[in-house]
Amino acid sequence: MDTLSLILLTTISPLACFIIAIIFLVQQPRAAQGLVLFGSAISLLSAIGLLVQGPVEPLRFLWFQSGAIQLQFGFILDGASLMFGVVVAFITACIMLYSVGYMAHDPGKTRYFALLSFFAWSMLSFVYAVDLLQSFIFWELVGLSSFFLIGFWFEKPEAAGAARKAFLMTRVGDVGLFIGILLILQLVSNFDIPSLLDPQTGLSTQVSPGILNAITLLIFIGIMGKSAQFPLHTWLPDAMEGPTPVSALLHSATMVAAGVFLMIRLHPLFMAAQDTALIVLSIATFTAILASTIAMVDTDIKKVLAYSSISQLGFMLMALAAGSLFAGVFHLITHAVFKALLFLCSGIYIHAYHTNSMAEIGRSGGRRLKATTLGLIIGGAALSGVPPLAGFWSKEEIFAQLGHNGFNIYMAGAFLAAFLTAYYTFRMIFLITKPDQAPASDHSHPEPLNMKAPVLILTLGAIVLGFFGSNIAQGLGLIPQHHSVILMISAVGVVILGILIAYFDYGRDNAPRTGFISKIAPLDTLFTNKWYIDDIYRVTIVAITHALSRILHWIENHVLDGNYDRFGLGILRTGAKSTRVQGGWMQLYLGWAIILLAVVALYLGLQ
Amino acid sequence: MPLLSSILLTPVITLIILLLMPQKAVRGIRLICAFSGLLTCVLSLQLWMGYDPTSGGIQFEEIIPWVSAIGISYHLGVDGFGVILVMLNSIVYFTGVLTMWDLEDRVKEYFAFMVLLVIGVFGVFMSLDLFFFFFFYEIAVVPMYPLILIWGSGNRAYAGMKLMLFLLAGSALLFPGLLAIYHHAGLNTFDIIALSAHTFDPQFQIFVYPFIYIGFGVLAGLFPFHGWSPTGHVAAPSAVSMLHAGVLMKLGAFGILTVGIRLLPEGAAYWAPTFVVLAVIGIIYGAYVAMRQTDFKFVIGFSSVSHMGIVLLGLNLAVLGSVAATDALNGAVFQMFAHGIMTALFFSTAGYIYDKSHSKTIADFGGLGAQMPRAVSIFIVAGLCGAGLPGLASFWAELLVFLAALKTYPIAGVIVILGLVLTAVYILRVFNQAFFGAPNPKWENLKAQDMSGLHLIPRAILIAVLVIFGFVPRLMLDLINSTTVAFLGNF
Repeated sequence: MDTLSLILLTTISPLACFIIAIIFLVQQPRAAQGLVLFGSAISLLSAIGLLVQGPVEPLRFLWFQSGAIQLQFGFILDGASLMFGVVVAFITACIMLYSVGYMAHDPGKTRYFALLSFFAWSMLSFVYAVDLLQSFIFWELVGLSSFFLIGFWFEKPEAAGAARKAFLMTRVGDVGLFIGILLILQLVSNFDIPSLLDPQTGLSTQVSPGILNAITLLIFIGIMGKSAQFPLHTWLPDAMEGPTPVSALLHSATMVAAGVFLMIRLHPLFMAAQDTALIVLSIATFTAILASTIAMVDTDIKKVLAYSSISQLGFMLMALAAGSLFAGVFHLITHAVFKALLFLCSGIYIHAYHTNSMAEIGRSGGRRLKATTLGLIIGGAALSGVPPLAGFWSKEEIFAQLGHNGFNIYMAGAFLAAFLTAYYTFRMIFLITKPDQAPASDHSHPEPLNMKAPVLILTLGAIVLGFFGSNIAQGLGLIPQHHSVILMISAVGVVILGILIAYFDYGRDNAPRTGFISKIAPLDTLFTNKWYIDDIYRVTIVAITHALSRILHWIENHVLDGNYDRFGLGILRTGAKSTRVQGGWMQLYLGWAIILLAVVALYLGLQ
Repeated sequence: MPLLSSILLTPVITLIILLLMPQKAVRGIRLICAFSGLLTCVLSLQLWMGYDPTSGGIQFEEIIPWVSAIGISYHLGVDGFGVILVMLNSIVYFTGVLTMWDLEDRVKEYFAFMVLLVIGVFGVFMSLDLFFFFFFYEIAVVPMYPLILIWGSGNRAYAGMKLMLFLLAGSALLFPGLLAIYHHAGLNTFDIIALSAHTFDPQFQIFVYPFIYIGFGVLAGLFPFHGWSPTGHVAAPSAVSMLHAGVLMKLGAFGILTVGIRLLPEGAAYWAPTFVVLAVIGIIYGAYVAMRQTDFKFVIGFSSVSHMGIVLLGLNLAVLGSVAATDALNGAVFQMFAHGIMTALFFSTAGYIYDKSHSKTIADFGGLGAQMPRAVSIFIVAGLCGAGLPGLASFWAELLVFLAALKTYPIAGVIVILGLVLTAVYILRVFNQAFFGAPNPKWENLKAQDMSGLHLIPRAILIAVLVIFGFVPRLMLDLINSTTVAFLGNF
């Protein structure tokens, strides 16, 4: 098949399924589910077909023209989009399959599957977009699908609130991105990504470094919102209110991945803007540490995983800002696999025991779910960076890049975050597999095959994916960093330290089952309260917005409208008063006539 | 028969037939109106197809001298803007009739007034003669009063009166302005084309332009003269709100464009910076005030103030003659259309919910999404369009205007783009309070009354239009762009 039909099949088939399902199949949830799965399979196969064909020239079509602006739409088919396209289609397919079991008894099944399909369409279209504005459009649609899926159980006020928060916070970021994009349009009247990035004629050769820094920084604000970086990260943990498979999708290959992918897309621009790169590096490092500290005290399995996503996204952005496109892409892909795996495992636990608390899951006998627990351990070890699992290799690339470019402080930060990652991950594993009391009754829950199969497939992925690093680098046309042995040993050392402490705190027999951090009370309070960031927003930005709208509302009612009303009533009253002049009362008429005559006579007399 | 006159005469003939029909023939009246609405849609589509964007300018001209002594003639013609707005009016007319299908109270009179309003609007969009322009303008405005007073709800006497007084005050500014233009030109003609060839003295332009701008601006929801519009929207019956916010407010913007900017370009340029400030205030102010409304329709009403601010901003940026003028005008006209369809959808759906529940108070609901999933989904689409979401028509309009604003006045540009967040805030507030959350048991009876069958048709049409232009903006932008280039070329 030719490239155009393949790319159309990849992107359009989920859209077609969405439209058909939402319009015709509301009453037939099983048909909708089958259709959506079928569409997702087609999409995956075509994406693989594209990858096999290898990179080709972008395809472009004229979208519209206004004044000097010419916009195109089309598809960019280079290494990054081909590989990540497959990852997106693959993870989506796994999660859809899993959802068949997870959402089996939900009354809104058609809506659920239709929205997943819509999500896949917007994310895939975003990944292959050739034009920056096209990217922005699908970027927004990715946000919209997240909004609907986070708020899928909209009857729960928490879910609706979380959806709103996600939409608004990413929207704040998007305003930055939007301004950045419009600035580009003003400067070059063109949005074509390959020509913007062209080293000879691209944007970085046409504008001054200051403006380039401004533009990239604005774009980064958008990335901060989408990829949940400090200070726009607080929506992501709340987004856990959605169904668990949705969290799996949101945290791995879509939504939050979109931010990182945008940075991958525009990597040359960020590399040309030195100041921005440094800012990105600082924020990403800080976020990686911040999120890990919260993950080490939270008790909710999904929240822990959510903070871990924030922290790992920080790692990816660190890699990209430090200059390694390969490390960023590699970690994005491996993380997509093992994070999806971890969420799917957590979903099985939640489905079986109806609790999000890790300790509760452990006490209910979580480890009896064999396949799930295997997935949890492999996925967790991959996340921590235990060799030779996927996360080890991709994190290694990040350390190598930081070391190579001499970013020593950031390297220290990365090591700290990696240590915390190993700690909180194994804390989670120990809490579930080594409960403090044996399960009361032995009622075992089956793990349905359609939920187990995706878990096992992804487990396999988390094991082997790390060995494909050189293939990924090749796909990007890059050479991986040379690994330094000392760095590797210290990275492994940090991980082992984290695991050991977690074992000491939670894993061994008679473990205290409290974290070491609880001995430092102020830090413990700070972390438990999530660094008070949400509270700060509540008393500042939210309060200010409310106050302003209250004031303007008062002005509308009392100043503007009030005065118009008074003006109108005033006229009415004057009218009412002046009617008395013509009241049909003869004496009054006579009186007026006499007065008037007197005045005239006086006037004439004075002449 | 010439196309424009056919479009104009369709509702005229409908009105005559309606008046001749017996009061009782409710079904026949509805069918005739629906047919007439559909016919105008078809004819407008023919107009759209027939308009040649490559040559641009005014096409489909018809001239019949009327009162030669003072130079009044029946002169019709449309440029690309006119084509689009005629289309808008046809769509809103047709979907408006379908929206009011269940009306039982004085059906004949209701539709008669509504058709009269439609005639006026068509006339304005087609007239190239100042006299007829003003004549049709008043025809469009006046039926609002009985429509609100008789078929309205809530505080309708107050709302109707307020609306009427504001709009007549606007006309009171317009009338001397238009006469001054006629006399000052001294050409003894009301013909807009002939007048636009005349160069008015700059001092005169600067003096007269505010009369025209504010006079028409009142109808376009110009801050701070917008007070009538939310009040009026709320009190009016659904289809009237649709026509009112969807089309009538565009009359104001169209008037500013065709009379103000076309005839008095230097006056427009002189005042533009001031009016840019007012437009920006309107955009932000409308959004903030919308945040605190307790009534669905008031939220939509203030959102209209905010969204029409984008149109006014675009118009003012266009006359500044900057490099971004084309984008600004393209965006403004695109927004007129997109906002028209969007508010029509908004009011049509809010009206449906009101008809079934007899409540417009947001806090009365909660979890309505579980009870009326279809109606709520449709409202959400309109809301997302209001929030400028890509994939729906408004996005392109806002993109172009914001781009122009950023180029011409960067600070104003940044402020209005930040306004996007505010829009999302008030829209999501409605979603969360009324549609999401635990369903209110009070409305369990609404489950059986969700939109279905015939009720879905008008909303589906409006959504389709929003999505089509959201993904293929070229269909409209090609038309607008050629006209904009020609229009600005005359400066």
